[in-house]
Amino acid sequence: MKKLAPLALGVMVGLYATAEFYIPDWHVRALTSELQSWAAVIAAFAYVLGGVNLIQVNYPKIKRRERDWGYKVVMVVSAIVMLIAGIKWHKAFTAAPGGMVATATGGLPGKARVVIDAPDDVMVKVGAASAAPARVAGKAFELDVDPGKVSVRVYRRIGGFDEFTTELELQAGQIATVKADPAMLWGTQGRVYVWLYDHVFAPCNATMFALLAFFVVSAAFRAFRMRNLEATLLLGSAIIVLLACAPIGGAISDDLLDLKQWILDIPNNAGRRAIMMGAAIGAITTSLRIILGLERSHMGAD
Amino acid sequence: MPDRSLPAEHWTDRLQRFDRRWLFLLMGLAIVVPLIFPIGLPIKPTPMTKAAFNAVEELHAGDVVLISLDLDPASTPELEPYYRSVVLQLKRKGVKIVVVSTWYQSPPLMERWIREAIDAPLAPPGTEGYSGAPDRAYKKNVDYVYLGFREGKEATILRMGNDLRGTFDGHANDGTPLDQIPMMNGVKQLKDFKLLVLVSAGFPGAKEYVQNVQARYDLHMVASCTAVSTTDLTPYFQTGQLEGLVGGLAAAAEYETLVGMRGTATAGADVLNVGHLVVIFAIVFGNVIYLIGRRNARKRGAA
Repeated sequence: MKKLAPLALGVMVGLYATAEFYIPDWHVRALTSELQSWAAVIAAFAYVLGGVNLIQVNYPKIKRRERDWGYKVVMVVSAIVMLIAGIKWHKAFTAAPGGMVATATGGLPGKARVVIDAPDDVMVKVGAASAAPARVAGKAFELDVDPGKVSVRVYRRIGGFDEFTTELELQAGQIATVKADPAMLWGTQGRVYVWLYDHVFAPCNATMFALLAFFVVSAAFRAFRMRNLEATLLLGSAIIVLLACAPIGGAISDDLLDLKQWILDIPNNAGRRAIMMGAAIGAITTSLRIILGLERSHMGAD
Repeated sequence: MPDRSLPAEHWTDRLQRFDRRWLFLLMGLAIVVPLIFPIGLPIKPTPMTKAAFNAVEELHAGDVVLISLDLDPASTPELEPYYRSVVLQLKRKGVKIVVVSTWYQSPPLMERWIREAIDAPLAPPGTEGYSGAPDRAYKKNVDYVYLGFREGKEATILRMGNDLRGTFDGHANDGTPLDQIPMMNGVKQLKDFKLLVLVSAGFPGAKEYVQNVQARYDLHMVASCTAVSTTDLTPYFQTGQLEGLVGGLAAAAEYETLVGMRGTATAGADVLNVGHLVVIFAIVFGNVIYLIGRRNARKRGAA
């Protein structure tokens, strides 16, 4: 039963996923949508398993002070910090409103006035006017507007903070004072998460990719050799495509651009298609083997 | 005393062991110098880039397009210039925008991109060096909707094709019900978008959109990808499944030229010019040493 049930489930879902492609009925579409949402939930749950696995694999190595254990500490601590930063703590601990509006009379005749009482690093957007700092040289932002509806948005210059938006209904001679101090958010849109993303993850990620330029030039010098006819053809194509993929190619000759396009369209596409079709046939074969219960390695069996 | 019994080392052998840090230095200079002293060679748009531009030009005010930002910070230099150019093109045409992602690394990056390029005007009247129509700041949930990220990779793409609202629980990322957003009226599946703009750095991305939903729902798509993925996606351009393809920084510079707003890709095009020449130099230099060394080895063998 332990083997039969998952096998039967795999066969049923596999057959359904194949058949639904050919059944244009809304009942089928609704069921498919439900199954696809399950797939998304399963994929999301893989992160939980990944987190548990990360600890299971690395903790014993750190405990035994195995080789490079220091890097593993950095990895585990980074994962825990990002997990903590990614939780929306502000929803659990703060319920304060983002801002408040008070109205009074005064101001220019025939006009209404919007006054923003907010810290220095806050930006304000009132109606269609351009965004402006909430406070310049200690003076609060003021704007005279036509009576009627006017939208007000108060936000911080940097991401990761709450924002206060409101729609005011103003009459002539009325002064509306909007008091707002957008609070710091937690979670994936919060300040800590965004700061770590911008100042740690993004530079590390970009650095790894940028190193490619140096590896490519080193590999081009050491490994790209005219050892035989095939390698020579590859090398010639590479030089043409490299030249034509930069504006200098067009500056040398338009024929070079045409030659590059020919290389991409004919030999490259022929090779790509062969690989894609081979991979697709392989995927169909494997899928059929799973659906028919012939392939069981995904269930932990041979 | 040198060992006279061994043959003297040929100069090509010494060059084969050439310290590669000199090449790194040369590549570093090739990247930095053109940024300080621009060359400014003319940029000629290629057919794939022109096709992508024309696909967006055919849209009308009020049409709704989907932008899928499937990327991470590493691919920003190659993909952000295209994103900014295409957003400017869409905004000046008055096209409504829906933004999604299938990459978990993407949300903080795309939220910043939305703040900088969609929430704020990219080319307000009087922008220096720009002669096209000005754009304006788009209003959230009026002119654009940010749906956010959903895990599931290809499953998410498939589900969006079938049920876009269900995929995002019927809400925009800020919690606004999609039913309350007028521009989302009639947008229930991917086929309800006039165009899909795929800004794609790898898996899942443009390839998965083409394979899973393009043919099934007969979708109109254009894509931008990193230079290394271009050869992966050109077969789909050739078959017409992708109506346009903007591959790498060079093509992004071409797109900037077509849109009429010079940006970081145009500045980076000079880096490409010199950088590619350095790679070609490394290939040629390495092969010259190799061929001379091989000839010398044969001579020594014959002797």
